[in-house]
Amino acid sequence: MTVSLWWLCVPCIIALFLVLRFLNAKTQHATAKALSNPVCWAIVLTAAMLVALKLPYEPFAEHSKVLSWLLEPAIVALALPLYQQFIHVKKNLLLILISCSLGVINATLVASLICYFFAAPAQLSASLASLSVTTPITLLVTESLGGIPSLAAAMVIFIGVLGAIFGNLIFSLINIRNAQAKGVAIGTACHAIGTASLISDQPKAGAFASVAMALSALLSAIIVPILYPVIQHVLV
Amino acid sequence: MKYLISSVIILTCLAVAKFLTALLESSFPAPLLGMVLLLVLLLTGLVKEQHLKPTASPLLNYMPLFFIPAGVGIIEHLGLISQNWPLLLTIFIVVPLTSVLLIGAVIAYFKGRENDS
Repeated sequence: MTVSLWWLCVPCIIALFLVLRFLNAKTQHATAKALSNPVCWAIVLTAAMLVALKLPYEPFAEHSKVLSWLLEPAIVALALPLYQQFIHVKKNLLLILISCSLGVINATLVASLICYFFAAPAQLSASLASLSVTTPITLLVTESLGGIPSLAAAMVIFIGVLGAIFGNLIFSLINIRNAQAKGVAIGTACHAIGTASLISDQPKAGAFASVAMALSALLSAIIVPILYPVIQHVLV
Repeated sequence: MKYLISSVIILTCLAVAKFLTALLESSFPAPLLGMVLLLVLLLTGLVKEQHLKPTASPLLNYMPLFFIPAGVGIIEHLGLISQNWPLLLTIFIVVPLTSVLLIGAVIAYFKGRENDS
């Protein structure tokens, strides 16, 4: 093909995402809303299209650079919601801070142990070390650990959908009705997608989830790059 | 003008963070350091929320768009995934489950299982 059609990828991604987001906003049922997550489907459909048309990833990445480049300032801008949430919870900050740290440490530790028992290659265990955090942060942290960012991102998104669907069931099984406990647990473990599912039907838990999600973004960025090499050092 | 000011604040934080990580030869991701810098500026009151909003709000609103290309990169690793699916499935279930149980239990221990109000 002499005339390149790659310039189409950015407008196509934007259009696809906006349509999916619109459809998702129209969805009322909680489970259907979680399952129709626009980011998840935008990635799946774009990936499926490339595979079906036997198109290579490299030129695609090259031509969608504009979008990837904007991710960096967007991550810096995450300081704003983090700051807004900070002011909300001064009263409970210590307990939430400790809980979020435990959640982040637990995710890295459990994933590393499972990888160890499965004798997974190093690249794979590095890809699975930072799953208790929102997707843009996991991309960066995973890259700095030498893992595969896209794999980590996919896992994080799927975990979010899982939490949005089964979160309430788990809390009723372990007999917890406290909004703070539910919110912080879901916000830390299942980030944006889990949090969105709480905000709609349990606003109080949803508010705690937003705080926990923001905090675990910061905590993951600090804890995981230090903790992961230590765990690897002990296990190997 | 307001867009210019907020863009300059965000890009300056990013640039300073990039400079620092390069200077210290650190593998710490520069955008994350930039986020921490900006948070400190907000907490100390050097930067006000309303100065930041014009650019920050649309950036945050459309952030999912910016990581779609990275996510699509998964097609380069389909072989690795199909070879290791039992591991991935185990992690997919066990990691969030243990985190939710741990955090739920810790907070319920201090705050009780019921709503306090």
